[in-house]
Amino acid sequence: MTTNDTNTEGFSSHISKRFNEELEQIRTELLAMGGIVERQVHQSVEALLTGDVQLAEEALAIDIQTNAMELKIDERCTSIIARRQPAASDLRLIVSISKAVVDLERMGDEAVRICRQTIELNASGSSQHGFQEVRHIGNLVRTMVKDVLTAFARGDVEEAYKVAKSDRSVDQEYRSAMRTLVSLMMEDPRSISSCLNVIWVLRSLERIGDHSRNMAEHIIYLVSGQNVRHQSLSEMKTAVEQSIDL
Amino acid sequence: MSEVKTANIDLSSLIKGQENLKFADEEIMLHTKDLKVFYGDKEAVHGITMEIPKNCVTAFIGPSGCGKSTLLRCFNRMNDLVDNCSIGGEIILDDRNIYGKDVEVAELRRRVGMVFQKPNPFPKSIYENVAYGLRIQGVKKKRIIDETVEWALKSAALWDEVKDRLHESALGLSGGQQQRLVIARTIAVKPEVLLLDEPASALDPISTLKIEELIHELKKDFTIIIVTHNMQQAARVSDYTAFMYMGDLIEFGVTDTLFTNPEKKQTEDYITGRFG
Repeated sequence: MTTNDTNTEGFSSHISKRFNEELEQIRTELLAMGGIVERQVHQSVEALLTGDVQLAEEALAIDIQTNAMELKIDERCTSIIARRQPAASDLRLIVSISKAVVDLERMGDEAVRICRQTIELNASGSSQHGFQEVRHIGNLVRTMVKDVLTAFARGDVEEAYKVAKSDRSVDQEYRSAMRTLVSLMMEDPRSISSCLNVIWVLRSLERIGDHSRNMAEHIIYLVSGQNVRHQSLSEMKTAVEQSIDL
Repeated sequence: MSEVKTANIDLSSLIKGQENLKFADEEIMLHTKDLKVFYGDKEAVHGITMEIPKNCVTAFIGPSGCGKSTLLRCFNRMNDLVDNCSIGGEIILDDRNIYGKDVEVAELRRRVGMVFQKPNPFPKSIYENVAYGLRIQGVKKKRIIDETVEWALKSAALWDEVKDRLHESALGLSGGQQQRLVIARTIAVKPEVLLLDEPASALDPISTLKIEELIHELKKDFTIIIVTHNMQQAARVSDYTAFMYMGDLIEFGVTDTLFTNPEKKQTEDYITGRFG
């Protein structure tokens, strides 16, 4: 589903042009914030894998922008609710954006944690050994973030569903990596310290995956009006199919 | 017209309910200074001092009888027409008190136009309704009148709906169209300030939204003051909002702030429906 009542064409039906502009602006700002967070996640993983402290510091610095945008978008949502009393799809858009900014900001925080790991590792002179294990899960999560933002931009519930489904793969990868790391620690207790660092990073990536899934749920709510939080993937799929049939 | 010295008056000592109000680079169109309105012995407006910024929409909200319409009517001396009504204090427009003895009221009302709650088109054609003010002013050239009528109807977002029936009776228009026609008639004489007294309260929701959109468009050229019972309307259309209660100005602030984080408890109670 690529066309729906929340895209730019839909906004033109408002009598108030200013309201159109306000909705379009807030939507654009959310996507801009998404772009920043996507870059932050990408750079944090890349910095960790390559041991690039400068890149980690860059990604860390971006967090100020992410936080500022969260506040700005949040303020705009409050203002639109107070001044415009949005209804139906407009209300869902504001509610979804208000929730999505929180998820995006948290993704940024997780990226910050990964950057700090890189910087601390470098400062302590430890090697990047072991972190190659996060490459695969890192790639999966980066794709999820990119795809969920595309789904939001297009109001595409099928794409949003795919993102939610990918979260299962991330969780599987996470559990598998944890098993490997536990085995490694049991075999060689000297590796416990470095393995714990890897676990922290894996945990952050897994959380970014969860936030991407949350955003996918907000998109499905925005487009279809159905609240699919706390539902299984099959229930989510039914909701998506119903909204496409409508 | 009597000159009124304003430069040396420190308004901050007089201003109530607007302690934190700062106009962001806006030029001030109108000042009221300790404005009081009496109906007989009864004081309906108790010494209001405020500034109305130019090319902005300022909304007056408050419960019935709070004095908001009375205050609005002071800006073009419509209260002069009310028996037993007397005014204290000053309203300054272009450094002059509009209540000065030598002020020409007709000229003041050309500069400060007013639109009322109920659309009141004249029983004439659409064209003649808009041309009326120009003819009163002595404009005779048909080309100028034609151009102004077209401009006013376009500015009032009515042109497309009436351009093929300009010479039909204005009374055949819908309520929303009639109200936009009245706005066109008002702006045709190029006022500087537009006073709108509940301009959409007799209209359906879609016509209301059209009027609100029109208000937003018109503020580029005019300073607009609107009185409304509908708080949401004030929130949608205005840049600044003044909350009045029992003849006092309780709070005057940036609309965004007033509707999300008002400073006075009375304002909070009113806009959240806890009032009374």
